[in-house]
Amino acid sequence: MNKGLISGLVLLGMGLVCGILLSVVNYFTAPRIKEVEDAIKYEALGEFYDLSDFDISEVNGTGDFGTIFILKDKGSDDIQAIVYTVRAQGYSDSGKVEMLIAVNSDLSVEDYKVVSHSETTGFGADIVDNDFNVDSINDLTSFDSVSGVTKTSNAIKTCFNLISQRIAADLGGGLSE
Amino acid sequence: MDNLIMLAFSAFIIENIILSQFLGICPFLGVSTKRSNALGMGLAVLFVMLISSSVTWLLYKYVLEAFNIGYMRTIVFILVIASLVQMVETFLKKVSPALYKALGIYLPLITTNCGVLGVAILNISKEHNFVEMLVYTTFIGLGFLFVIYIFSMLREKLNLAPIPKAFKGAPIALIVAAILAIIFSRFGGII
Amino acid sequence: MNKKDNFVKGIIKENPLFVSLLGMCPSLAVTTSLENAIGMTMGVFFVLVLSNLIISLIMNSGKLAELVKPVRIPVYIVVIATLVTIVEMVMHAFLPSLYFSLGVFIPLIVVNCIILGRAEAFASENKPVDSLIDGAGMALGYGVAIMLISIFREFLGKGTLTIWGDLQLNLTFLFDFLKIEPIAMFVQPVGAFLTFGLILAAITAIANNHKNKIAKEVKNNG
Repeated sequence: MNKGLISGLVLLGMGLVCGILLSVVNYFTAPRIKEVEDAIKYEALGEFYDLSDFDISEVNGTGDFGTIFILKDKGSDDIQAIVYTVRAQGYSDSGKVEMLIAVNSDLSVEDYKVVSHSETTGFGADIVDNDFNVDSINDLTSFDSVSGVTKTSNAIKTCFNLISQRIAADLGGGLSE
Repeated sequence: MDNLIMLAFSAFIIENIILSQFLGICPFLGVSTKRSNALGMGLAVLFVMLISSSVTWLLYKYVLEAFNIGYMRTIVFILVIASLVQMVETFLKKVSPALYKALGIYLPLITTNCGVLGVAILNISKEHNFVEMLVYTTFIGLGFLFVIYIFSMLREKLNLAPIPKAFKGAPIALIVAAILAIIFSRFGGII
Repeated sequence: MNKKDNFVKGIIKENPLFVSLLGMCPSLAVTTSLENAIGMTMGVFFVLVLSNLIISLIMNSGKLAELVKPVRIPVYIVVIATLVTIVEMVMHAFLPSLYFSLGVFIPLIVVNCIILGRAEAFASENKPVDSLIDGAGMALGYGVAIMLISIFREFLGKGTLTIWGDLQLNLTFLFDFLKIEPIAMFVQPVGAFLTFGLILAAITAIANNHKNKIAKEVKNNG
C-alpha cells in the first residue's frame, strides 16, 4: 500500500477514536446541558413550578394567545397544568397588557404574572405584582381589581375570561402540537 | 426583505467582524501594511468564508443534526475550512502565482483565521436559514474587506509619521484601531 | 534547557500574547471581566497542556510518527478540536454562565494560534514531559496576560473586579471618592484596542530600557 493511503487511514482512524471519545463525553454531559437550556427557555415557568417535575411542550397560540406551555407528568400523557401567554386591551392605545397565567388541571389558578404593558405609571401600572385574588379560573366573583383603574383591571379580567372559555377543551387534549 | 437588509447592514457595520466582534485580528494587524496585500487578503477571506459557511451550514443541517452528533461541529467545521484553504492555495498557485507570492504565509493562515470559523459557527448559533446565512456571511466578509482596506491606507501613512519608539508597530496600530472602533460603534444608534 | 526555564519562558520572555502576538482575538473580546479571563485561561490551559502532551507522545512514538508525518497538521487539528469540544461540552453542562459569557470564543480556542503553534514548533520535536511543561508555561503566560488586560478594563470600565460569580470586589467607592463615574468605554471595543495597545507600548518601553541597560553594561565592562 502506498504511503499516502496509509497516512490517510491513520487520519481517519484518529478521527474515529476522537469521535468515540466525544460521544462518551456527550453521554455524560447531554442531560445536564438539556437541563440548562430548558431552564433558560422556560425561565418564566420556573417561577410558577419546579420544572424538573414535568415534561414541557409548547404550542403557538392564535389571536390574543401567545406561546402556550403544556406541563405533563414526566413520562405520562396526563396534563398537569397549562401556562398561557394571553393579551388584552387595557387603557393604553399603544399596547396590550400581556400576562402569563398558570392553570392546574383541577381548574385552580396556580399563579400569574403581568409580563408587559403600556399602562400609566402610578395608575394602571400598579397591576404588576398586584394580587387579584383569583383562585379558580372559572370563578371570578372574588376578583380584586386595582382601585381607580377600571380599564386596566378589566384587561386583566378579560385575560382570565379568555382562558376560562377554552380551559375545558384544552385540558381534554384539544391543544395540538 | 426588510429583515435581510437589516441583517446585511448590521453584519457590515454595526456588528463589524473586526471592530465589534474581534474576529480576524491577526491578519488585520499582520497584512494591513500594504494596500494591495490588504485587498488581496480581504477578497481571499471573503471567498473562503462564503464557501466554508455554505458547506458547513449544509453539513450541520443535513448530517450533524440529522444524526444527533451536533457536538462534532467544531471538528468537522475546522477540517472543512482547512481543506478548502488547501484547495484555494493550489488553485491560486496555478492561476495567479503573483498573488500567491504576495499573500505568502498569510494564505495558509486563513485556516486559523478566527473570522472564518467564527462566522460558520455564528450562522448556526443564530439559527439562520440558508438565505440569511448567505447574506450575513457576504456582508461580514465585505465588512472585513472594508475595514482592513481602510486600515491599510492609514498604516501606509502611519509608517511615514514620527512615532515614539515604544509605540512603533503593533501598539500604534491598535490605538488607531481603537479610534476606528469608536466611529463604527456610533453607527449602532442609527436603527 | 532545564525544566524551570522551560516553564518560566512562557510567562515572561516568550509570552505568547505580549511577545509573539498570538491569540489576540479572544484576548480583546473576553477581557471585559476578570471572571471571563480566568475562565478562558482554564480552557486554554486544559487544551494546550493536553494537546502538547498527546501530540508529543504521537510524534515520539517511532513508527506511528512516520505514518503521521505527511498528515500531521490535520492530525494536530483533530486532536486540538476534540479537546476543545470536550471543554465546550463540560462548560455548557456545568458552568453555563461562563459558557454564555465566553460564547463563540470557546470553540475558537481551536484556531488560537498559540496551541497549533506550540504543537508544530515544540511538541512535535520534544519529549512528552518537556512538552507538557512548555504547554503549562505558555498557557499560564497567556492567562497572566489576559488577566492583566481584564483587570484594567473591568476596573476602569465598571469599577469592580469579578473573580468568580458572586465573588466580586466592588471598588466603585474609589470612583465616588474622585467624584467620577467608571469609564464605560473600557468595556467596549474601543477600550479593548486601547488597553491592549497601551500595555504593549509599555512592555516594549520596559524591554527596550532593559536592553539598553544591558548594552551599556557590556560596553562598560568590555
